[in-house]
Amino acid sequence: MRKRRGAEFRQASNAVGALGRKDLPVSIDTTVRAMERYRPDPRFVDEIFDADGEPRPVTRPLVETLIRLGREGMLDAGRRRDAIFMAQAITFETGGDGGVSHERPFPLDLVPRVLDGAEWQVVKRGLVQRIRALNHFVDDVYHGREIVREGLVPWELVASCSHFARAVHGIRPPGGVYTHVAGCDLVRDGDGTWRVLEDNVRIPSGISYVLENRAAMARLVPELFAAYRVRPIDHYPQLLLGALRAMAPSAQEEATVVVWTPGPANSAYFEHAFLARQMGVELVEASDLMVRDEVLYLRTTRGLERAHAVYRRLDDDFIDPLEFRPESLLGVPGLIRAYRAGNVAIANAPGTGVADDKAVYRFVPDMIRFYLGEQPILQNVPTYLLQDREVREHVLANLDRLVVKPTGESGGRGVLIGPNAEEAQLERMRTLIRAAPGRWIAQDLVELSTVPTVTPDGTLQPRHVDLRPFAVFGEQVDIVPGGLTRVALEEGSLIVNSSRGGGSKDTWVLADGEELERPGVPMADTRPPALPDLRYGEWTGQQQQQQQQRGSA
Amino acid sequence: MLARIAHELYWLGRNLARAEFTARAVEAVFQSELQGEPDAMPVISFGSGGLLAILGVLDDGEHSRSDALAQLTFDAQRPGSMLASVERAREGARTVRDVISAEMWEAINTTTLGLRGGQHPGWGAAAGPYLASQYVRERTALIWGVAGRSMLRDEAKCFLDAGGLVEVADMVLRMLRVALPTADGAPADGHALILLRAVGGFHAYLRAVTAPPNADPVARFLLFERAYPDSVAACVDSLHEAFVAADAGPRNSKPVLRVSRLAADLEFQRRALPDGAELCEICEHTQLELARIDQDVSERYFAGAAPLGAWL
Repeated sequence: MRKRRGAEFRQASNAVGALGRKDLPVSIDTTVRAMERYRPDPRFVDEIFDADGEPRPVTRPLVETLIRLGREGMLDAGRRRDAIFMAQAITFETGGDGGVSHERPFPLDLVPRVLDGAEWQVVKRGLVQRIRALNHFVDDVYHGREIVREGLVPWELVASCSHFARAVHGIRPPGGVYTHVAGCDLVRDGDGTWRVLEDNVRIPSGISYVLENRAAMARLVPELFAAYRVRPIDHYPQLLLGALRAMAPSAQEEATVVVWTPGPANSAYFEHAFLARQMGVELVEASDLMVRDEVLYLRTTRGLERAHAVYRRLDDDFIDPLEFRPESLLGVPGLIRAYRAGNVAIANAPGTGVADDKAVYRFVPDMIRFYLGEQPILQNVPTYLLQDREVREHVLANLDRLVVKPTGESGGRGVLIGPNAEEAQLERMRTLIRAAPGRWIAQDLVELSTVPTVTPDGTLQPRHVDLRPFAVFGEQVDIVPGGLTRVALEEGSLIVNSSRGGGSKDTWVLADGEELERPGVPMADTRPPALPDLRYGEWTGQQQQQQQQRGSA
Repeated sequence: MLARIAHELYWLGRNLARAEFTARAVEAVFQSELQGEPDAMPVISFGSGGLLAILGVLDDGEHSRSDALAQLTFDAQRPGSMLASVERAREGARTVRDVISAEMWEAINTTTLGLRGGQHPGWGAAAGPYLASQYVRERTALIWGVAGRSMLRDEAKCFLDAGGLVEVADMVLRMLRVALPTADGAPADGHALILLRAVGGFHAYLRAVTAPPNADPVARFLLFERAYPDSVAACVDSLHEAFVAADAGPRNSKPVLRVSRLAADLEFQRRALPDGAELCEICEHTQLELARIDQDVSERYFAGAAPLGAWL
């Protein structure tokens, strides 16, 4: 199957032409020719072009506009993008030589990724299902442990997770929701199916970039939007605020919600400030918080004021030195006691990390069947736990074809991609695995799909992408259409993390199918009621009015 | 609001006002030092040495003029320089990014980047300090303008304004104390145009006061004229308003009480002082009083921002 697609692609790419000529008349013919320089790798699925190198029906208008913009147009928009991001300080810091860090504009690629409505519906249903199952699992782990008693998940595995938190055993937050904010990393495999690469139910970040990317795209390349109805995403902060309010312990006055950041030195500080501003709530640091008599207070200019719900953006380990790491200076002593007493809600709940451990990941499809009685809609990537001797030997023998990840880590740290690794690296990894098999998992290599991406010289090249949609679990699970598409900016690279040289793309979910059949009159058709005339001084207004009346009479 | 945020906003206001007034002073001194002294009349002497004293830079008397000006513009290592003030303002703004509007943050950020880069043509040349001062003046006006139009008139704005007002009053007093003739009469009374230029009240003075711009009427104007927004009296008045609005119990609040006493004092002196009376002492007294207000403000509003022990 794969071979045939490659052959077809090579035939198609024999046509000639160049992306970048500005005044090409756009027709199907020139589209193909103009994209000649763009060669989707036949081994992977391309999101914009099909196996023959032709734009997919839904992306054809996008490709045509890209051709019209041309190389210069894209480079120019890129320069404006960098200037805007620098001015707004939408940057991230990269370690330079000698420990000096540099602020670089966040690398947003200007070619969007497009998902049609029908496909998104499937993804969305799959995610809702998965997140509900993960939430059940967290509840179960800290209460009845039924899934363990059923023999589906081994207890040693759960208890050995680095984010398993004994301190919160038996605590059930209001509504039974633990995973208020979740972001699952999805990839499209070589055969075109969506797979979940990992779950993030601790403190997934990136939503601020999703929103900023969309705002920037609308400013920089409005022409790309012309042929599409892209579903908006800017209601996310309100969704989140609603979920945070819903979980707050009942208060006589309106619940006070805060976002808790480790501080400006944190790499995601921009996002923390962004969310606080967008929700209109305070951004607090540990020094702003204190617990007295099992109630959480804020230190304000008017003395202590109560806080009801905390959206915390730091790991369990640091939130309460009395219960977790005693040396943490970022934490608030007594917070877990206040949480246990039901006086404060914390999102995500402490202890949720047990559900996104990479070893537990393997059991998520079982969880879906066990808790929900449904078949999983989204598939896992085949994963090998290395405690079993037979599996381990198989993995060690085939390490050059697999991906190895440390459990309990995130952000792409410590990941080894077998096919790209040197023999020495593989050998070192074998030693590490033999020493502590429980700390590693192995996965089949996923052939991430590609999307055309603007290179520094303005031409388009295929680059690998993943997708992190963001879900908010309040009274129900809501998912913002699309999410963060992360892209590996280096040719052939499969690592998309922004800390490791990855960029991002705007992700468009198209309003089609059932979405189009929304009731109500479209905006352009509504007419405002008659409004009083603006007056221009004493006479002109009246004169104009009289003239108009005369004209219409 | 959070004590830490209030504290940051207060200092954001202070740093912005400090950058602006440093820029004005540098500009005035730069202009006046290009020319000699007029022989027709005595002038208030106010040069780069005086400027360094005002801005709290220790002067070892060895500075050349261009050294002094460069120190006050681009030298980020000198805490008194415009660039240092602007950098501090940006650092402060970064930690309150959720409180100020995106527009305001952008204005502060681009100001810093522009000044830091020093990439404007001509900034390296002889006229550099002058051009940079102009840039800072314009940009701070922009920042305050955006703040005025985009920030909610709430506690946050009160603390931002309060910081700016304290700093403006303090800067004006500093300039007066260096430039004014003292009791032992070392520098003679004279033309004080440079003082007006250095605080930016030239035009307002001409419209408000008929007397020639000599040291005494200029000093009275800058101290007492309530109609001029950057005068000490006007700043103290506005400061009072800001604290009353921000305070939960203004009737028993030490900073509020102290500010209102200072306002009354200034008003009394304006009416009671005979012409030609000694102003230096009043300036000194007022400045000390402002320092006490600053102290009271930290204790009453920002105590929560202090380390744990101090709060408990």
